[in-house]
Amino acid sequence: MGETSAILVEVFFETLSFWWVIIPTIFLGLIVGGIPGFSAANTIIILMPLTLAMTLQTGLVFMVTLYCSARMGAGIPAILVNIPGTAGAAATPLDGYPMAKQGKGQQALAISFVSSSIGGLLTTLVALATMPILARVGFYMHSVEMIVVMLFGISLIASIASQDMLKGLIAGFLGLMIGSIGTDVVYATPRGTFGFLELYDGVPLIPALVGLFAVSEAFVIIEKRVIVAKEGGAVKGSWTDTFDGVRIALSRWWHIIWTSIIGLIIGVIPGAGASIASFVAYQQSRSFSKTPELYGSGHPEGLIAPESANNGVTSGTLVPLLVLGIPGGATAAIMLVVMQFHGVSFGPSLFESQPKIGYGMFMAMAVAYLLMFFTILPLSRYMSHVTTVPTIYLAPMIISFTLVGGFVPREYMFDMYLALGFGLLGYIARRTGYHVAAILIGIILGPLLERYFLLALKKSDGDISTLFSSNLGNVLWVGLVLSLVLPIYFGRRRKQKVIPT
Amino acid sequence: MNPDKPRRQLGGELVIPVLAIVFTLYFFSTIWNSPWTAQVSAFAVGSILLLVCAMFILRCILSIRSGEGSLGFATLFSREDLATGRIGLLITTVGFCVLIEWLGFTLTTFLFLSISMIILAKGKRPVFIAAVSAAMALGGWAVFIWAFDTRFPRGWFETTMKAVLSNG
Repeated sequence: MGETSAILVEVFFETLSFWWVIIPTIFLGLIVGGIPGFSAANTIIILMPLTLAMTLQTGLVFMVTLYCSARMGAGIPAILVNIPGTAGAAATPLDGYPMAKQGKGQQALAISFVSSSIGGLLTTLVALATMPILARVGFYMHSVEMIVVMLFGISLIASIASQDMLKGLIAGFLGLMIGSIGTDVVYATPRGTFGFLELYDGVPLIPALVGLFAVSEAFVIIEKRVIVAKEGGAVKGSWTDTFDGVRIALSRWWHIIWTSIIGLIIGVIPGAGASIASFVAYQQSRSFSKTPELYGSGHPEGLIAPESANNGVTSGTLVPLLVLGIPGGATAAIMLVVMQFHGVSFGPSLFESQPKIGYGMFMAMAVAYLLMFFTILPLSRYMSHVTTVPTIYLAPMIISFTLVGGFVPREYMFDMYLALGFGLLGYIARRTGYHVAAILIGIILGPLLERYFLLALKKSDGDISTLFSSNLGNVLWVGLVLSLVLPIYFGRRRKQKVIPT
Repeated sequence: MNPDKPRRQLGGELVIPVLAIVFTLYFFSTIWNSPWTAQVSAFAVGSILLLVCAMFILRCILSIRSGEGSLGFATLFSREDLATGRIGLLITTVGFCVLIEWLGFTLTTFLFLSISMIILAKGKRPVFIAAVSAAMALGGWAVFIWAFDTRFPRGWFETTMKAVLSNG
């Protein structure tokens, strides 16, 4: 124990000496995270020759920092212009963008940065302390358990639908139906592809995200001169808003803790990811809030939950990578390749044979989050001015850069047209009162839910009772039912208490 | 019914449910003779979607019959779309998608930004708009293509610049 502590302290200070790598990488991460299509994974692939040329430690610090800062960067356009940089930030605009429209963009950014930094830092330390236990979580999560985790995320559709249940359900189920496009996982039978080979792998996520959020938003915002609503007041651009945001986030420290832990646990599960974590965290945050009716109208807790959770995922994905050699996501898989190039072998022995590498990755994450807190937070004052740029300039910029972002992951021109198609769908949805986030939840989680559902049925020869055959699964089912029923019960009790007064 | 209250324009609200029904029926037609693994999830989700769409359409019919709603499309299309330049922006966006394959990222972005901004600004400040468009397009080229060699669509400008830069 004492020896480990000494190594941790040594590695911490050693990592801190790489500030000259970390700080520029933070800004690079903010840029690539903020533009749909330019994920951290893509950037690390593009810069792989550079990464391989660096020393192992420098390369690790670079990759880990880029991973964390891209995650944080994805929330910036989500808050300011309603465009999530990655699917992991898809729940961020639900409350972040209404805040920006009310002239509280700077405050919202500060809340996002604080909850992301603290969430990421805290989960890194928790992951470090509980690595052996967390590494086993993946072993217990089979198809049945994953079905329930997906349903936790999908149940957010019901919350979004609360204003008009039928419209919300139509949007959510339309998303699930669109998510079913492509070949089925068992026999590869093409379904609903309109004859396009490009859709055989399913609907690509980035063009859907770009279309539903960015393109449709660009067509909507041109009605106003600037994004900030008249009643929201002008953007003041003083430090007070930043400090207010920090105070609001810190006063909800418990909220940051438990939603980031949700992210950590989901991050540990291979195949899950930041999008699921942020949807689940948002839904759970709303379910157990004393003011669920404020969610969706610019409620700080609705912003804290997805941002803490998706940054909690980053440390979670490192656990199976380092302890078991199983990457928890695309970026972790690329890190695996780079580390193997340098001759690092994974598994429990890593922490005995090369403790500086094993612990070093977590320390790099901790230091990156620490430095991010101090370097990005002051920028919120200047970033928030995006909401005051006239929309006649902003809208075409959004369209051109995000549509090209839709092209980048697969290099198909088809994907740009697909993004345009989703843009029209998103525009119609926005103008007629359907929630684009509900459509996106369906598109993201639908294919995953179907895959796990079919796997469970195949394993049990079509016996549907298999869904209730595992102890952990049953615990999760109970948790799911409680998370749906208890808020209704508490809501009724609150109303009953209010009526006599 | 209050005669002073404007009637709710339900035509626009029906577009998504109608699209959903058409798409679901098409989807069903593609899996009708497929193995059960391809059908089970889609039939379950599609059936619920058809059901909620039917309920929504029924609600609209009742609303129209009671005089509270009409089949108007004002929420979706209006004269404002022409006035704000939205139709123009849609046309330039389609043009952007078509041209980028031939002209590459930089030139197409410059053209798209210039024309779209001039349409939205109703022809005001063309020189400023051209300068902003050029700066954005060149900035995008410098960061994404020149510095990071990102897989953006390439055309004459990118090829020429690559040749110029590689030959010093």
